[in-house]
This record gives sequence, structure tokens and C-alpha cells, in this order.
Amino acid sequence: MSHVAFQPRGREVALEADYVVVGSGAGGAPAAVTLARAGAKVAIVEAGPWRDPADYPSSVYGAMRDMIDAWGSNFTRGRAYWPIIQGSLVGGTTVINSAIAVRTPADIFEKWERAHGVGGASMAEAVWRIQDDLERELCVEEAPTPARGNSNLLAKKAADALGFENHYLLRYIKGCVGSGQCLQGCREDRKQSLNRNYVPEVLERGGDVLSCAPVERVLFEGNRAVGVRGRFRNPQTREGGADFVVRAKKGVLVAASVTRSAPLLMASGVQSRALGKHFRAHPGTPVFGVYDDPIDMNTGATQGWASVAYRDEPGFKLETLSLPLDMVAGRLSGSGQLLMDRLMEFRHLAIWVQACRAETVGEVRRTITGRPAVHYTLGREDMLRFREGMYQIARMHVAAGARAVLPGIFGMPYRLEPDQIDQLREAPLDPRAYVAILSHLFGGCVMGADPSRSVCDGRGRVHGYEGLVVVDASVIPTNLGVNPQHTIMALARLFAEQLVERPAARAAA
Amino acid sequence: MIWLIKFAMCAMMPRTEKLPGIGDTDLDGFLRRLRRDSDFLYWLGLALGAWLFAVTPLFTVWVPLPAFFLPKKLLDRHTERVLSSRIYLIRQAVFLVRLSAGMCWGADPTVRAKFAMSPYGTDPGTFRS
Ligand SMILES: Cc1cc2nc3c(=O)[nH]c(=O)nc-3n(C[C@H](O)[C@H](O)[C@H](O)COP(=O)(O)OP(=O)(O)OC[C@H]3O[C@@H](n4cnc5c(N)ncnc54)[C@H](O)[C@@H]3O)c2cc1C
Ligand code: SF4
Repeated sequence: MSHVAFQPRGREVALEADYVVVGSGAGGAPAAVTLARAGAKVAIVEAGPWRDPADYPSSVYGAMRDMIDAWGSNFTRGRAYWPIIQGSLVGGTTVINSAIAVRTPADIFEKWERAHGVGGASMAEAVWRIQDDLERELCVEEAPTPARGNSNLLAKKAADALGFENHYLLRYIKGCVGSGQCLQGCREDRKQSLNRNYVPEVLERGGDVLSCAPVERVLFEGNRAVGVRGRFRNPQTREGGADFVVRAKKGVLVAASVTRSAPLLMASGVQSRALGKHFRAHPGTPVFGVYDDPIDMNTGATQGWASVAYRDEPGFKLETLSLPLDMVAGRLSGSGQLLMDRLMEFRHLAIWVQACRAETVGEVRRTITGRPAVHYTLGREDMLRFREGMYQIARMHVAAGARAVLPGIFGMPYRLEPDQIDQLREAPLDPRAYVAILSHLFGGCVMGADPSRSVCDGRGRVHGYEGLVVVDASVIPTNLGVNPQHTIMALARLFAEQLVERPAARAAA
Repeated sequence: MIWLIKFAMCAMMPRTEKLPGIGDTDLDGFLRRLRRDSDFLYWLGLALGAWLFAVTPLFTVWVPLPAFFLPKKLLDRHTERVLSSRIYLIRQAVFLVRLSAGMCWGADPTVRAKFAMSPYGTDPGTFRS
């Protein structure tokens, strides 16, 4: 077993495995562990470094530096520049996410089957079976009562009062103590991010992990993927190091994320008209409530409550979110003396967010610098949903007893009194008026039956190539309307299972 | 350039009666680290934001002077107006300066104490080698 981190310039590092997995996030790590459990020799190649809880930062600055891809400077190219947030380290975005685990809704498989010729009842059954396993292995549970914190409790109270479906969230966390630091990595080591379980298990099962190792190309012999090539990068200085080559006897699995997988395949010369297409997202934005009593939102589970009451119509999800002071200080509008006065209310703020189930389709492209460029502008129908989501959050704040609501919309008052929140329904529909972020991403290498409209088939295998499989969020051809990682992990495991199942088992199935 | 960024940040987060300003924190150290650690695009955006902040008083408070010659009151007004500029690009670039200022200010132990929060631990920057 071996872990190879950054290697300085010098001799090329060369390895061989049955399967190479590019990326170790929600897609890559579950796929890798599935292959390793089936007895295959697996090499995970991850662009970012391997950090354990003792290495995690405390501050937002530290998280930007040590965990977030390109300092969060990937943003949508379109009418508005909205940041696209992803992790770049062993464990991928699971290290910095809130660990929320939501089962894939049944309508999603029907939609995939209807619109893309993949999915359907058999995939649903397989995904839910795997989700049972994931929930057991990754200890899915609600935040214990003492760790819930005021913000989550208040949100529950508000939604109950308004009478719509809502619940405390199930998350991959064992014994959350409510430190409110999920977005900087769980230093308490309660969150089951995949650097803490599946990646080490791959090592224990005789696999290899290369960290600080961004893959630059997938290697081919004819149309068969036979390995990957890249150059180590020092995570502190960003200097390049030694070249590396990892040969794959049986296959290459790509799980570099929605923004990185399609550009990697483009750089590798993969031909597909659908490559980079069908990008989708759940753009999210917060609405702040100001309360008489201190909320101290940084005490309690980062995200412990949600509602899917509006998932189908009009199409958004509601959640709580605690943001640290060093993020809120930059996020509240205003400046100078005015901003400082507004910041005095920090302890009295609760932040709840809407994640819009947007139908807008964008595109992931590769720029000459090698960076991804995501072209995406939310259309009018989606902006209506987006705005309505914000209104519903404001309504919740009022129901919870907020003395004011801070919508953070350009062109609107900074503060709305409870009897003024209806103004939100008239808020501008220009995306530039909002500060949103994209954290739930889909597409770029979508699966489908028709090779002219999709990159992979219903098993993640890239059309027209052998031994090349995509196993991350980029295969997902629609939005989900729920948090995606449970679906991504289950699909990745399913595709990996299908790679190693014996022909006899396949025939029997 | 660091000087320009520092000036913009201090204007955006001044000391008040109740709270320390960003100038009361280790802003020099923060900016040195940011210059060293940040992604090129991020730094470029920050530099652009600080530059725009400095050169736009003519369009915000109708004074043909760079921001660093403005008296305190006018500077405060300029700061507010430039952050709510109708021109999206200006607004976004200057917003990046404020976002970064917030990261420095909000992580300062004295500031955190004002909000009854314990100081942050370290950001070790370490990883498995
Ligand atoms: C702040 C935040 C909170 C979130 N909270 C939740 C939540 O609570 N629940 C939920 O379901 N979802 C959540 N999400 C979304 C979820 O985490 C992602 O959808 C999911 O992790 C995506 O999985 P992935 O495998 O596609 O990509 P990632 O998990 O991002 O993994 C991709 C990995 O590939 C690596 N990589 C990229 N390029 C290369 C290359 N060239 N060579 C080698 N490696 C490469 C990256 O460094 C990264 O480690 C959240 C996202 C964010 C940003
Ligand atoms: S809230 Fe704190 S203890 Fe709970 S999982 Fe998140 S970081 Fe860990």
C-alpha cells in the first residue's frame, strides 16, 4: 500500500494498477472502494493534497487557501458572475460540504428514462440498494438535539407554524457536536467525508493514492483508455513537480467533478458532440433574518434543517446555513461606518437559503489556460423560482419572529420590516442583482442512450471508447431538486460494481 | 498595489466606537499572505477592485480626485456608492475587496471577542506527505 504525495522535479513516477480513478470526491472515492473490495488493484489520482482533521484550517481564509478549488475564483460566465464552489483535496467536496444525505427521488429515474433513455426502475432499485449501504457505512443520522443550535430549531418552528413539510436533515455524520464548521472541514472528525473512510480503505486493500497530482491527459491506445499522465503540483507554492504516469490494465474512471471532467476529456482528445453540454445547477442564495435574541448561528449544526415542500412546484429547496463571521463580514451589504453598524447585529442573525431547482442549461468549456469556463445565465422562469424561494425564506423568518429581513438584493432596501416582505415578490429578475453561489452542479459528461446527445451510456461508459468510464456528478443529465452527493455516490458505486461483476452474474441479472 | 488594497479595505471597514476597524488587525500580514497564497485570478480581481475604488470618486461623489485625497466623510460616501454602483463590473470587483477584508477582519481575535466568540485555532496549511 502506498500514498505518494508531491514529488519534486526529477525522475518520472510510474505506477500500474487495474483501474485508475481520477479524483477522490463523492464520485471517485466510492467507485474506487467498490473496485478495491472486489479485489482489483486501484490507483486514485487526486489533484489536491491529503489533509486530515489536524491539518484543517479554522478560518475562511484558510479554507479558501487549503481546500477550495482555485480560491473560489471559478465563476459563471454570463450575465452574472456567480462563484462556483468546489473542494480540491483528497475526499473532494465531501470535506467541505455539510454532509447532507438525501435519497434520489423516484421521479428522477423516470425523468432520466423518458428524456435520456437511461435510468428507469432497475436503476432506481440498484441506487436505493446502494444508498442503504452508504447510509450504514457513513453513519447517516440527524444532528443530536443538543447540537442543533438556535438557527435550525427556529427554522423548524417557523415551517411548522406555516404548516409545510420540513425536517431535520440526515447527514453522514457520527455524533455531531454542533461546532458549525462543516464548510472548513470537521476538525472534530465527526463528519464522514471520504478522506476519512473510503480513501484509506483503498490503501488498506493494497491500492495506491497519488495526491497533489492533477491529471493532464487520459492516455489511449486506439480507442482504449490505458492510463493517465500529469505533473505533481505543490499545494503550498503551486510549483510543478515530477511527471507521473499511471497505467491502467482494465480501465480509467474519471471523477474530477462537473467543472473538471469534461475539460479533462477534451484535453485528452475525446470526441463527443455532447462533451461539456447540459450543465445544470441549483443556484443558492441566503436571506438573513434579524432577531431580538442572539441566535449565535455558529453554534449548532452548519446545516441541520430543510424542507422539500416546494421541490416540485415552483421548484426550490429550503435549508438552514450557518456562515462564519469572516464570511458574513464580506457578505452583508454596505460599507464604512454603515457596514460596521450593521455588523453589530451579527449575533442576532439567522441565515436560511433557497437552492433553486433551475432548468437553465449551460455549458462547460476548456479555456486555453486549461481552466474550466462555465457559461451559464439563469433564464426568466428560473429567476421567478429563485425569487419566490427567497420570499418563502423571508416568510419563514417573519413566522419565527424576526424583527427584520435582509434580502441582499441590489436595488432593494437593505432591510425589510416584517410587513414589507411582499416587496420581495417584485424584486428585479436580473441575475446581476443577486449574489448567489453554485455548489450543486450537474452535467458536462451526461449519460444517455443517444451518443449524439450524451457522452456516456447508462453505465457511465464513454460512447465509442473502451475502458473509459465517468463516475461523478457530470454524468447526471438533469437537476435533482435535492442535495446531490447521495445520488453521486450511489451512481459511482453502481458503475464500479458493473465493471467488476462477473459475466455469469451479469447474464443471470 | 498592496498599499492601494490596504487603503480600500481600511475605508470599507473603519474603526467605530463599538468595533475595531480592519486597520486594528494584522492587515499587513494578511495582505502579504494573500499575495503569496492566492490564485492569480483572485489577486488580479482584487487589484482591479482596489484600483477602481481609487479612481472612481468622480462618478460617485463628483470629485475629480483619487479616493485617497477625499476627506473622511466624503470617502465614506464614496465607499458606499461605489459598492452599490449601477455598473455590475465595478460593483463586483469592489465587492471582492470587501469580501477579502471581511476574511481578515472577521478572523481577528479581538473582533471575535466582541461577538463572544473564542479565537480561531491555527490554519496549519499542513498535509500528508
Ligand atoms: C459548500 C458546499 C456544501 C455542500 N453540501 C452538500 C451537502 O450537504 N449534501 C450534498 O449532497 N451535496 C452537497 N454539496 C455538493 C456535493 O458536495 C457535490 O455535488 C459533490 O461532492 C460532487 O461530487 P464529484 O465527485 O462530482 O466532485 P468532487 O466531490 O468535487 O470531487 C472531484 C475531485 O476531483 C479532483 N480533481 C479535479 N480535477 C482533477 C484532475 N485533473 N486530476 C485529478 N483530480 C482532479 C478535485 O480536486 C476533487 O477532489 C455541497 C457543495 C459545496 C461546495
Ligand atoms: S457541525 Fe461541527 S461537529 Fe458537526 S459535522 Fe459540522 S464541523 Fe463537525
